[in-house]
Amino acid sequence: MLVVSNNPLVQSHLIREPQHTVAYAPVSFRDLLILVRDKVHQGHVLLTHPLSGSVKPNETLYKSIGMTQQPQAGLCVDSLLLIEEAILAHDRFPPRTREVTPQMDADFQLVDWTLLQSALLSDFARTRGASAGA
Amino acid sequence: MQKIRIVHYINQFFAQIGGEEMAHVPPQWREGPVGPGLALAAAFGQTAEIVGTVICGDSYFNEHTSEALPEILDMIKAAGADLLIAGPAFNAGRYGVACGTVAKAAQDELGIKAITGMYVENPGADMFAQDVYIISTRNSAAGMRDAVKKLAPLAQKLVSGEPIGASSEEGYLPRGIRVNLFEKDRGAKRAVEMLVRKLRGQDFTTEYPMPDFDRVAPQPAVKNISRAKVALVTSGGIVPFGNPDRIESSNASRYGRYDLENIMDLTEGKWATAHGGYDPSYANRDADRVLPVDVMREMEIEGKIGSLFRYTYSTVGNGTAVKSSKAFADEFVKELIKENVQAVILTST
Amino acid sequence: MRLELGFIPIHDVQFADTSRVEDGVLYVNAEDIKALVLKDEHISSVEVELARPGESVRITPVKDVVEPRVKVDGPGGMFPGTVSRVKTVGQGRTHVLKGAAVVTTGKIVGFQEGIIDMSGAGAQYTPFSKTQNVVLILRPQDGLSAHEHEVAVRLAGLKAAMYLGELARELVPETIETYETLPLLEGLKQHGDLPRVGYVQMLQSQGLLHDTYVYGVDAKKILPTILYPTEVMDGAIISGNCVSACDKNPTYVHQNNPIVHELYARHGKDFNFCAMIITNENVYLADKVRSSDWTAKLCEFLGLEGVIVSEEGFGNPDTDLMMNSRKISEKGIKAVLLTDEYAGRDGSSQSLADAHVSADAVVSAGNANQVITLPGMDRVIGSEAYVGIIAGGWDKNKMEDGTIMVEIQAITGATSEVGFGYLSAR
Repeated sequence: MLVVSNNPLVQSHLIREPQHTVAYAPVSFRDLLILVRDKVHQGHVLLTHPLSGSVKPNETLYKSIGMTQQPQAGLCVDSLLLIEEAILAHDRFPPRTREVTPQMDADFQLVDWTLLQSALLSDFARTRGASAGA
Repeated sequence: MQKIRIVHYINQFFAQIGGEEMAHVPPQWREGPVGPGLALAAAFGQTAEIVGTVICGDSYFNEHTSEALPEILDMIKAAGADLLIAGPAFNAGRYGVACGTVAKAAQDELGIKAITGMYVENPGADMFAQDVYIISTRNSAAGMRDAVKKLAPLAQKLVSGEPIGASSEEGYLPRGIRVNLFEKDRGAKRAVEMLVRKLRGQDFTTEYPMPDFDRVAPQPAVKNISRAKVALVTSGGIVPFGNPDRIESSNASRYGRYDLENIMDLTEGKWATAHGGYDPSYANRDADRVLPVDVMREMEIEGKIGSLFRYTYSTVGNGTAVKSSKAFADEFVKELIKENVQAVILTST
Repeated sequence: MRLELGFIPIHDVQFADTSRVEDGVLYVNAEDIKALVLKDEHISSVEVELARPGESVRITPVKDVVEPRVKVDGPGGMFPGTVSRVKTVGQGRTHVLKGAAVVTTGKIVGFQEGIIDMSGAGAQYTPFSKTQNVVLILRPQDGLSAHEHEVAVRLAGLKAAMYLGELARELVPETIETYETLPLLEGLKQHGDLPRVGYVQMLQSQGLLHDTYVYGVDAKKILPTILYPTEVMDGAIISGNCVSACDKNPTYVHQNNPIVHELYARHGKDFNFCAMIITNENVYLADKVRSSDWTAKLCEFLGLEGVIVSEEGFGNPDTDLMMNSRKISEKGIKAVLLTDEYAGRDGSSQSLADAHVSADAVVSAGNANQVITLPGMDRVIGSEAYVGIIAGGWDKNKMEDGTIMVEIQAITGATSEVGFGYLSAR
């Protein structure tokens, strides 16, 4: 899986797992969505929902999104609709300024990582199955 | 407590001047309530007074809006009104549009409260529900009593500044603004009731209407694009330098039709964008970035497309109403069909 | 499958030397509960507090709410697969301390939320302002991971509810309600002339503090499956989630699933309530496709003509909701959806992150972004330190007079998407 993420915790975990590639970018939540949108246009297909988790886009700073490692030939329209809807949904939440304590920051990273972890498990089951069948 | 001063707007029919044959009458003022105003006055009781009634023929209003509206507003202003009530218009289309226009203008230009009433399918409801409180009425004047019953309490709340409840509580048409309310039955019970009605084929009202789905199914692929005549159409605002048709930079009310004959490339100083919704410098430097005439010409020469259609149609898609865009397309598509254009490339920004 | 629920009404809760129920009063020996909870080595300390309707009390951050129940007859025990052995439940008799609840509070992550106000403007938004609450304030051992911490708090609430439920074992219920769902073919014989109806419940299943358990199985690992609706009344489904507290189902709401109860209320009269289907809301898109395929397939297989689909959460689950709506409708089955809305503080934004034309019958549980001012309370159980940073709260939202402003998404159960509450929006 190609994981596009602004979460340092995700990067530190996945660096040891060669089957995944992390495109780590220390950018805002919204810029990360834009980055993913650009990759969709380049042919990568979304594997996880960009609005995973119940922590709202204006609450957490972190987001990790799974995509196919390799771009496919054409644009995946479903992926494009999903990421565009996610950007629209993000923009409906007014920006918040508040103090984020180091503990909160760490917890936001942790929750984002567990959301991604659930997807990694599903991905493992799927890709392992696919390679066994091949 | 001071009585609320109400001005009531009605058409020639409800003023008992006459039917369609009298729809041409210009605005006129009458002291006190007229026609349905009497029922309204009764509903308000001692809390309000209808100080006067503005009457205008539906044809006159719709055909001479620019003259009729200021005249009507002057009458409302002169009467020192706190509140304008227009209609209710029920299912009368032109009357509905007039009621919505007058109510919105009273709100926006005079800064007074305004309210009207219409049947949900009245075209005026679609046009003004987001701007003005419109009481939901039946489709004929037989619903007058019911309409007045809902109109008076909501009007009082508007004037006093009390919080306005949800559309289903107050009886107005949904405005696209979601308002919370506590229902009599819990959500689960309402869901079961809705399911039973749906199963039986009975009427039910969804509590959250899905956003409008105005998706267009794609046409089948062009069979032989190397023979096809292809047109360029844009909402990116590309126009000949100077914007000869004065297309507005936002909320466009018109589009332009421009001749591309012998034009191989849209060059700086000859073409530019009228669009006010993005940084125009790149488009002004090279308008092909928005309307790719240069590439189309190359493809024409290489034989990848049959030909580029001689004219391009351009408007500004910046906050422009979907209705306007549809109206533009309805017009120019006729020419595209007549000229045997087989494909259109629609560029946006 | 047939289950009798025997209700023992509780109208007050008091501390006492012996835990017992007398004349509708639940007497609680706090030391017994502490000893029980502290058997778990992951918990370092626990305090027990009581909160009654009308009191000037705020409980926050709320993790879960559980109803004390006990299985007095029939196979299995309460919460099978977690604190009771795995055994299919949902038949026989279960006693309920109606009006009592165990509330767990404990900070697991630093932005945690969930407010229950026992009085004031916030009280009408949470159903747990009306229950006699036994509140556990739980602290973990140092160095415990967030996952282990979540498990420990989850189990503590279930165990305490089991302990209190046990007090009802020998009591004579004031009222007894019977709920019965027959095996499909028998049900068809009995109600052959009535339309066949089902309930599709979507369960949170995304990760830490976003999980749900079915007979002890993490719901993200299930394929959609069929339950007798009475199974949930015996704790077949329990909550492991509390992020964005307004629209998450605490265990109490699973035990009392209002859609199940409202469907039973008209079962055999207006329709034949055949079965309950549970599905999940995973992060991985291929899982969504599979689960919605299976959900629609099970609806078809059961020959259902109509279903109610309830969502849990916002954003990611909106996609599951619309996939379910589309695929169920494509089978020619009529669906009613239950959701809440995030329409912005002024109510003008589009409420859901996804939409589909098939969703033409939707019940709304209200706009979770609505701002509400909560009065200061005499007593805070848990910690108010997080109120400013929880979802729906914002910095400087605590005024000098002690009032706080939050969006109702911070209030436990405010916009219940199984329709437990009365809130709606238009």
